[in-house]
Amino acid sequence: MRLLGLAFGALMAFGAAAEPVAVLPFSDAETRRILAHGPWPPPAERDPSNRVSGNKAAIALGAALFRDPRLSSNGAIACATCHRADRGFADGLPKAHGLATVDRNTPSVANAYLQRWYGWDGAGDSLWAQSLRPILDPREMGSDFARLAATVRGDADLVRRYRQAFGAPPSSDDETVAVNVAKALAAFQETIVTGRTPFDDFRDALARDDRAAAARYPLAAQRGLAIFIGQGRCNVCHIGPRFSNGEFHDIGIPFFAGPGRVDAGRFEGIRRLKASRYNLLGPFNDDPTRGTATGTRYVASEHRNFGEFKVPSLRNVARTAPYMHNGSLATLRDVVRHYSEIDEDRLHADGERILKPLRLSKAESDDLVAFLASLDDGGP
Amino acid sequence: MNTPRIAISIGACLVLCAGMAGACGEMLQGATRTIEGKSYVVVFKTVPDPIAVGSHFALDFAVCPRAKAEAPRSVRVDAGMPEHRHGMNYRPVVTTRPSGAYRADGLMFHMPGRWDLTFDVAATSGTERLTSTMQLE
Repeated sequence: MRLLGLAFGALMAFGAAAEPVAVLPFSDAETRRILAHGPWPPPAERDPSNRVSGNKAAIALGAALFRDPRLSSNGAIACATCHRADRGFADGLPKAHGLATVDRNTPSVANAYLQRWYGWDGAGDSLWAQSLRPILDPREMGSDFARLAATVRGDADLVRRYRQAFGAPPSSDDETVAVNVAKALAAFQETIVTGRTPFDDFRDALARDDRAAAARYPLAAQRGLAIFIGQGRCNVCHIGPRFSNGEFHDIGIPFFAGPGRVDAGRFEGIRRLKASRYNLLGPFNDDPTRGTATGTRYVASEHRNFGEFKVPSLRNVARTAPYMHNGSLATLRDVVRHYSEIDEDRLHADGERILKPLRLSKAESDDLVAFLASLDDGGP
Repeated sequence: MNTPRIAISIGACLVLCAGMAGACGEMLQGATRTIEGKSYVVVFKTVPDPIAVGSHFALDFAVCPRAKAEAPRSVRVDAGMPEHRHGMNYRPVVTTRPSGAYRADGLMFHMPGRWDLTFDVAATSGTERLTSTMQLE
């Protein structure tokens, strides 16, 4: 039995406002739900659709390309411009801004290797396909195959690195060179993994029934965790070690993108995915078995997908404000308030019956924010 | 003597169990679930077993007509969460195996909770829906 019980120990935190060190009496069922959020980090796995996944030379090439503004048409925007290490590999802006401002918030690329779908609408089904998209998007980096290939071919150091990664210099086929650039970028991004967090230490302490270690996790975070897996039912979608089921939901965030424009979210994402030459069923998948293409093969477009957006991971979430697909919520407290006071009328008429206003008290909201903040690895 | 009686009981059970397995789905190794319908019986197993939330899986299954019921013309597989009022995000495809069993590929339960797995067995006389409820943590 993993029930730890309330263990007010001899250890007392110092300070006037300190709470006694303790472990909340999580039930067996609650403990199982908590354990489902780990262990962290999961084992690294190669992406079979990318033949240079895990290749050191490709990772080094991808790292260089990630910071290289020559991948954009104006020579001023790199991948790292929006995916900033000091911002949790997002940019801190409500909406991404490249050559123009786009309709969506920049998602973090941390832990991207664990995803099934990429982008808020899941129009990408591999990290390499997703890496190609912003380079070609006229609002973001605005480049094209010819420019991209010429940039690689015209730089002796890039040519050398490319040869090391792919076993041959860049070919005369622009599209092939561009896809390989994307695969090197993916190989690098696969190495961006968030570290262990106070929550992970607590989770592992529960797993080995170590109450002394578990008691180091702040009580406020524990109370917030109890809401997260309990009345809040946040773990219905934010499940697993990444705190995301990797799928798509309508959570009542308006999808009007501007005057006369709507962001159709997953509905449009599926259409773009199916139409893409770079999806996992296409000719650039390096895995002849198409073993990772199951989702692409069987995903089905439904009316309810309109206005659905991907469930984001919550690891290092405190670093990636503002939140939601359109960056409309500035802080984690705003996010908690959204779910606490959610307007059910904003959900689609045939939307899911999952979301109900949580009606959290201020103290409960504080605890939930404390829990979310505990999902941070403390890195620079 | 108790021992022989126990042995006889076990022996009878083995014969009965073998007979039941032979009645439907004998071509399926390790089928774990049975749905009894009015005209059909479905036996199935998930691949892998158990399944995980948010991971794709397949179903191996057999459909057996009861007496006087005609052979199915087609079978459709789907699933949904009645409490959440939504289905899967994927549309499984059913194929027939040389053994006469079926394989449904492309399923995924993307949330924990109650899922109703449905088999729509179509014949010229109509379609019968057989449902199995599964609970995922």
